[in-house]
Amino acid sequence: MGRILTTLAVSAAALAAPHFARAESHGGAPMCGANTGEAASGEPIKVGGIFGNAAPGDFSSATDSAKAYFDCVNANGGIGGRPIEYLTENDQWNPELAAQAATKLIEDENVVAMVGNGSFVEMSVNAPRYAEAGMMAMASACAVSECFESSNIVSTNQGPLPSSVGAAMYAVEELGATNVACIGLAIPSVGNWSCGAVEEYMGSKGLSGSSVLLNPAAPDVNSGLLEAISNGADSILVNLPAGLGIAFLGVAQEQDLGEAYSWTSSTPLYDLSVPGALGEYWDGKLYVSAELTKLDGEGADNLNWKAVMDGYAAEDDPRDTFSQSGYLSAKFFVETLMEMDPATLDDRAAVTEAIKGITGKTSDLICGTYYVGDADRHMPNHAGIMVVVKDGGFEQVRDCFEYEGPYFEPLIETEKALGLR
Amino acid sequence: MSRVLPYVGFLALMVVAYVLLAAGKPIAVAGLFLVSGFAVGSLYALGGIGLVVLYRATGVLNLALGAMGALGVMVAWQLQQVGVPQWITWIAALAVAIALSLFYGRYIAPLLAWRDPVVKAVATLGFALIVLGVTAFAWEDDVRKFALPTDALAVRILGLRVTITRMIVIGAAFALVAGIWLYLERTRTGLQMRALANNRDISAMIGVRILRVESIAWIIAGAIAGFIGLMFGDLVRLEPVVITFMVIPSVAAAICGRLDNLGLVLIGGLSMGVVESLLTLSPLLKSVRPVAPYLIAAVVLLLMQRNTRLLFAKD
Repeated sequence: MGRILTTLAVSAAALAAPHFARAESHGGAPMCGANTGEAASGEPIKVGGIFGNAAPGDFSSATDSAKAYFDCVNANGGIGGRPIEYLTENDQWNPELAAQAATKLIEDENVVAMVGNGSFVEMSVNAPRYAEAGMMAMASACAVSECFESSNIVSTNQGPLPSSVGAAMYAVEELGATNVACIGLAIPSVGNWSCGAVEEYMGSKGLSGSSVLLNPAAPDVNSGLLEAISNGADSILVNLPAGLGIAFLGVAQEQDLGEAYSWTSSTPLYDLSVPGALGEYWDGKLYVSAELTKLDGEGADNLNWKAVMDGYAAEDDPRDTFSQSGYLSAKFFVETLMEMDPATLDDRAAVTEAIKGITGKTSDLICGTYYVGDADRHMPNHAGIMVVVKDGGFEQVRDCFEYEGPYFEPLIETEKALGLR
Repeated sequence: MSRVLPYVGFLALMVVAYVLLAAGKPIAVAGLFLVSGFAVGSLYALGGIGLVVLYRATGVLNLALGAMGALGVMVAWQLQQVGVPQWITWIAALAVAIALSLFYGRYIAPLLAWRDPVVKAVATLGFALIVLGVTAFAWEDDVRKFALPTDALAVRILGLRVTITRMIVIGAAFALVAGIWLYLERTRTGLQMRALANNRDISAMIGVRILRVESIAWIIAGAIAGFIGLMFGDLVRLEPVVITFMVIPSVAAAICGRLDNLGLVLIGGLSMGVVESLLTLSPLLKSVRPVAPYLIAAVVLLLMQRNTRLLFAKD
């Protein structure tokens, strides 16, 4: 299949393999930065990170894994002997706190960049702030359009839009869907944005699509399900946070609709605790688009992510997709700093220029190539895999494939211009 | 006649909503939305009944009802994870909610006994946020599901599969209305509760044992909160924040009964659910669907308060 980027993933793994073969010879010890085994001791390089953690959601797993990776780097020679001082702030889903956190990190702490950011709120508030400060945010847990459509934010995760389009593509190509109802959140820049792209994709194929937007606190998910049915859908795409998504699938189960429709989901339901919460009813029925590769993958980077988490993160820090994503952002950031002139590591403008110069980075954690470039939007990760809920876990049903649709056309043009295609 | 009029009004509201929004739709489709609306409305009504029972007995609008139920159902879920038999976990949920309710009623509510009803209500909101904070601290955001054995059993009504759990909610709402009415009207403690709610001073002077009677009211309210927590945890979702703030549409249902008439709370809650569900059928109005309960409550306030006492007047 032309779209399938297996070759990319394979070549990425092949490139990385010799490097990480050494990790295995060290008995599975994590490999970080210069990997000298000696603690860094020089003047710290300040790096920031903003996450959202308050009821009803915790997006801190990306900053947790980024911190674990930085700690590992600091224990292994740092950046030319200098440790990274990673300063994180919690926006508590509050726009005012998000703005204060950015001001504190940018002006008071004078960080050179942001890494591992994860929030529903922070990016919408601070995207113009990062541009004004001439700083890059290498985010990891993005969910809103501003995170992908801003000049100074780039994320390793996909967010709901590509992930949902991937799920819709699978529904059309493998499950025979002709009319997909996308169930999204009624939050500006989230549900309408991502489900809108699904509708565009369906339209581009001459098929039908519709959006059903739910209030995040709505007790009545039943009417959302009924709305999808009354729209004439033959396939339902759950594009909701895990808790609400499980509630939605619960009412579908109540109506015994598991066989009557094909069921797909964006990445939030790719969480190892989801199959248990869903129960046997959904076994083999729910297909989930995973924006990074499998959590139990055997690729070198995935194994190293686990080793870093085991060695440097708290035991109860989540090992989820956002955690993979935070690790990857931190790793790409460290690799970028290590290639810079050591004399310019505290110069924010120089660091920003170096980050914008990132191109052609690969990892077994992502299907495509990671790049940044000087552009007004960044979405390097727009290819993924599909898994199905199976036997209390997940089973991969489709290897890496690139997403299609009108939304991705400008990105593909950018990649051509950068020589990545 | 004037006692029946509000019931007729709510029934008329449902009929008008059905005619305006579902006219022309196949009965198989419209029936689904209608039954779904009753299912959601019964949740609003159940919450509203829980609020009104305590308000009638103590004069306190307990905005912590949802938070108490949320902590209860989280404890039940936690106990199930370590293999405790389900029936014991349900009792534990009720016990937790009763303990919280009794604590508030015994140690905090008496300190505010002489304050305006609004102050009393706001104090319970503070308590709700404390309980929610403790719950969120104890159980970090994670994927969880709480299920009852009755979820597996169902009947079809107008094409919609309705589980026994949902029927329990509807049945419990009716049973509570009847049971609480009988209790307040026909028992000595019920009479004392009504006397307390009307005038605490005079009740004390005529020998009502205030703390004892109020404690009983708070225990009943706690048991209802625990039951609501179990039902919401199963039928809405196992998220403490969502369960805690289910109290908001429940307040709207309570207002439909002017914080007094349990029968009107029941039919008001049901009509809110039906209108909200039927709005889904309108491409123009479906996005304002969540506003429906509050709009209905606002209209009820405007219509039913004329020439009568104020809802939140000082006793």
